[in-house]
Amino acid sequence: MIITLHINGKEESVECLPGEMLTEVLRRAGYLEVKKGCDTGNCGVCTVLLEGKPVLSCSYLAIRADGKEVTTIQGLAGEAKKFAQFLTAEGADQCGFCAPGFALTVLSMKKELHDPNEAEIRHYLAGNLCRCSGYEGQIRAIKKYLEAEHA
Amino acid sequence: MEILEYARPRSMDEAFRLIRERHGTAIGGAAWLRTNTKTMALGVDLAGLGLEYIREAGERIEIGAMTTYRELETSQLFKARFGPLFEATVSHVVGIQLRNIITVGGTVAGRYGFSDLNTTLCALGAKAVFYPGQTVDLADFIEKGAETPFLLEKILLPASMKASYQQMRISENDFPIINTASAWTGSDWRIAVGSRPAATRLCKKAMSLLGDDPYLSDEKIVAAAHAATAELQFGSDIRASASYRRETLHVLIRRALMEVRG
Repeated sequence: MIITLHINGKEESVECLPGEMLTEVLRRAGYLEVKKGCDTGNCGVCTVLLEGKPVLSCSYLAIRADGKEVTTIQGLAGEAKKFAQFLTAEGADQCGFCAPGFALTVLSMKKELHDPNEAEIRHYLAGNLCRCSGYEGQIRAIKKYLEAEHA
Repeated sequence: MEILEYARPRSMDEAFRLIRERHGTAIGGAAWLRTNTKTMALGVDLAGLGLEYIREAGERIEIGAMTTYRELETSQLFKARFGPLFEATVSHVVGIQLRNIITVGGTVAGRYGFSDLNTTLCALGAKAVFYPGQTVDLADFIEKGAETPFLLEKILLPASMKASYQQMRISENDFPIINTASAWTGSDWRIAVGSRPAATRLCKKAMSLLGDDPYLSDEKIVAAAHAATAELQFGSDIRASASYRRETLHVLIRRALMEVRG
């Protein structure tokens, strides 16, 4: 089947099987910044924004995204780079594999929650696992990033 | 999961026909399809049928079958009517990204043993409405299933109720070891227990023991916890033994009843 996705503002017609998940289709179309992690709906590295909401692309039927807006980390590159500077400053990024999904969830949280406290930040990000266990650094980086954005 | 043929019906009538006459399988949130190794001959996608809503309807609240967990979690109507109950029930389910996908209908129709939500819905005395208009008690459906292929349209809840949800997990992203919800309906008490690891059941003997007194004594709460753990069956799996589940449940039921009693 051919479906049309609006990926990072660009219209793409892509082929997919009825039971295929969005990760596969996006990566086949060249969006390799969408990472494959656990592939079972647990780790969060495959996160993309669908119509502005964070979803696990490994658990979202590609065919359902037909006609919808999909945003990968490349679609928010400017904001992501700004956030990445805080991650780097706090030494919170090691292998970087979880970073695209993690950063998308942080940027989504920034839009959804006004001035979240640490418990709210941790809760919002519970679905993003970091195999290097950089959580403390990530929390510091998020707090400083949000403070800078609200300043 | 492999889906051989995919259909996106434009009406509930069409969806119902595909399920009943062509043996189609309704697709809800579809989050578990990735890990399922079966083949689906005909997948009937319920997206686009307008089943995403939480709304008041007379003396009840209706939840459309395609409403996501995240919508339950953030609903201001639910916060006003049930306090933090729904947030407590679903907020432990993996992450926000998954809760933006999984649906109420998929959880109810699947009658999953590990479900947090089905336990709370049973405690609230929820009804399931199957298209074109059959209404059944949700706890009965969870226990017995349906005899014929069905299309779940919505869940009916009372307009408000004082209730508490309690659970124990090894880690946040895991299924619960055991969970329970208790509710005071205004005339009697309800206690539901799930993830035994089998599916949710009402604790009818414990409910009967509590009677119609809204002001429970500590002794009565302990007696209800004893009755509930005695009347249910528990199993052992990689997460916990049957006896661990039973002991844990005893504490969780007491906590839930005390929280509702105030």
